[in-house]
Amino acid sequence: MNMSLFLSVENLVFIMATTKRVVVKVIWNMKKRVLVLVAFDVDAMCACKVLQSLFQCDQILYTIVPVVGKEDLERAYLENSEGVKHVIMINCGANFDIVETLQPLENVKFYICDSHRPVDIHNVYNAVQVKLLMKETELSVPEYDLLFRDEESEDESGNDSDSSDRPVPKKKRFDDEAIERRRERRLWEENRNKVLFDYNQFSSFGSSAALLLFELAWKMSKDSNDLLWLAIIGVTDQLLHYKTPREKYIEDVMALQSHVSRHNHRDDVDIISINCLKIMYDDEMNLSLYRHWSLFDSICHSINMACKFKVWTLKGQKRLHEFLAEMGLPLTQCKQKYSSMDSSLKGNIKNIIKEQMPKYGLEDEDVIVPSFFAQYGFRNKLCAMDITLACASILESFENGNTGTDSFLLALDVLDRSNVNAKEKGIEMARKQLQAIIKQVQIFLDMHQVISAGPFLYAFIQEGTPDVKFFAHPQCLMRLARFTLEAHCSVSRNKRSKTLPLVLGAPLDREQGTLLVIGIPPLSLDEERKNFFGKAFEQAASSTNARTLHDKFDTFIMEMKTDDRSKFFDALISLLQ
Amino acid sequence: MLAEKALDLIRELERSVGGSLPPYNEDRVRQVLEEMRVLCEQNQKDVSATVAGESGLFSGVQVRHAALERNKRCLLAYLYNRIEQIKKMRWEFGSVLPTEVKYNLCEQEVQWFGRYNKLLANYMRSIGGCGGLDLTQDMKPPKTLYVEVRCLVDHGEFETQDGNVIVLKKNSQHFLLRSECEHLIRQGILEHIVH
Repeated sequence: MNMSLFLSVENLVFIMATTKRVVVKVIWNMKKRVLVLVAFDVDAMCACKVLQSLFQCDQILYTIVPVVGKEDLERAYLENSEGVKHVIMINCGANFDIVETLQPLENVKFYICDSHRPVDIHNVYNAVQVKLLMKETELSVPEYDLLFRDEESEDESGNDSDSSDRPVPKKKRFDDEAIERRRERRLWEENRNKVLFDYNQFSSFGSSAALLLFELAWKMSKDSNDLLWLAIIGVTDQLLHYKTPREKYIEDVMALQSHVSRHNHRDDVDIISINCLKIMYDDEMNLSLYRHWSLFDSICHSINMACKFKVWTLKGQKRLHEFLAEMGLPLTQCKQKYSSMDSSLKGNIKNIIKEQMPKYGLEDEDVIVPSFFAQYGFRNKLCAMDITLACASILESFENGNTGTDSFLLALDVLDRSNVNAKEKGIEMARKQLQAIIKQVQIFLDMHQVISAGPFLYAFIQEGTPDVKFFAHPQCLMRLARFTLEAHCSVSRNKRSKTLPLVLGAPLDREQGTLLVIGIPPLSLDEERKNFFGKAFEQAASSTNARTLHDKFDTFIMEMKTDDRSKFFDALISLLQ
Repeated sequence: MLAEKALDLIRELERSVGGSLPPYNEDRVRQVLEEMRVLCEQNQKDVSATVAGESGLFSGVQVRHAALERNKRCLLAYLYNRIEQIKKMRWEFGSVLPTEVKYNLCEQEVQWFGRYNKLLANYMRSIGGCGGLDLTQDMKPPKTLYVEVRCLVDHGEFETQDGNVIVLKKNSQHFLLRSECEHLIRQGILEHIVH
């Protein structure tokens, strides 16, 4: 088993890796069209754009199809599989057995570039048809011998049962051996189940797909500032949707920063044309969209700040006013558009906030995030976080009867650097989403709808809440769940609440009576961001025969029938206790 | 003032530069022609008077003649520029003009357009082998052989030159040979993505 292959895509890309040094050898001799299946998230979209530019450099024909879930994936594969020998999957396909699911012809090869972990063991050990484009260090797969037994030994045991015509004494000895072997086999199977359980128990996320493909482009000497910007957005997406822990984000940012300084290193800045994309690294305030909003609103709608101040209470509002007053920021200035704020105040905000932080119990992590800016033409600086939010909100927008794939293309337009209109629309949409989220959080807290079920907290969005359609999408629901959990922990007197995970349900389709359910890990385990709800949901559903649909690539999100809710949750409680 | 009306025509033309073709100003043209006729008659009268022996009319004749020349130039410029614009439209819109443009043409211009069409079609048929060559297709030389396209409608299967079958489904994106998908782009099935 040659798992030292860090990234191995025969004919397409061939990267051999020793553990420390990566040697790149690229062979592009594709004759056939490549099918690219892309999941619905910002990271995947960025990765897809990087891949597109690589393909275009080498004039490799491709077809890109966005896929929402596993069913969609199967359909897209069936429709487009004719004559396709190479299928690249971005942010989908790693955590289930792809060959089993798609039943492809034998000469079809799958290249999976997916940040979902754990990777299904069949995908890992199918060296012929499935290639993984992942960092080897992130794959802690159990040994092959623990999971699979060689065919040979089974053949032997098959022979044993047939060999009844052998002499008796020998047979007796053989019986002993057979018993011994059977015992060994049982032990092995027990061990296998245990290993598998440990391996599959938690779902988590690895490196961003966009970052990986950017690194690939870099190894091929085809990287550019544009591709770098996409990688940055991919990594930022992982932070904003709580996929990877903060430490991993910082690590990625460091890696990206070296690329940024490499690409944007010029002796004389004036020489470069204004129409070039320029990327800068800087500490950024962790305030959602404040450049496109007012400072006050932005603070009220950012998870960390809002939860620290408890802005949804009267007392919290007062404290926030006090905080602003102490920083010397007049309310009139804070409540008007950030772009029209007094520039003498604007330039200094970060430092003043940093000064006043400790007094209000704010920590560095709450306020400051290392991030990147892009400048293009004479326009405002764009922050990676704002663009990511804008893109994600367009991806999940539902205006004028757009189907999923429509919004996918619209979101792609947001990433296009010259498309200012799409960006502004995205930011507008993101603002609406944030407002809906904070309103919903306030409802949860005011009505005490976050309830402890013992091993976990849960909350349900009532049918008929005005903004319900925002939350029928996984990424927005994810952010709502996180906001709810943090807000709940900040007001709850119960100290245990920090150690409890949260399950959140939102009505998905009123006519069909379905719910979208998400489970997120507790705040106390924030350094790991490992989520055990994927397996738990599956088990609870199978033990109660609840009508659930585990169609999403994120296993911790699922759909279920509203009627089955109570029995499903009873099972989940008893399972987790 | 002399030749004032002809200048108005030119001004009208100038205002419409870059916009759509303005309606053919038949009234104004007729007025200019009328002015020219009057000038011409006066000139002839004066010339015959001069021939008859009268003197001192010569400078008047010269002024009128200059005005006549100017009127003629303006009228020709007006017509020529309109024709140029119509010619441009033939290359942009193809052999059938949009009705709102057609409305603004005078009869002679319509006739000219028809003849120009015929000439162009004959020429295009005569070049580029048996099938002819559509010169209006690539107005600028293409930069790449392949283009990135988005599918706008469910079109179904599409067979490429090398025998591959591609399913053109709404909102899928493809990277295809320019020559193959050009007609699909023109039909509005595919959209060419330009960065």
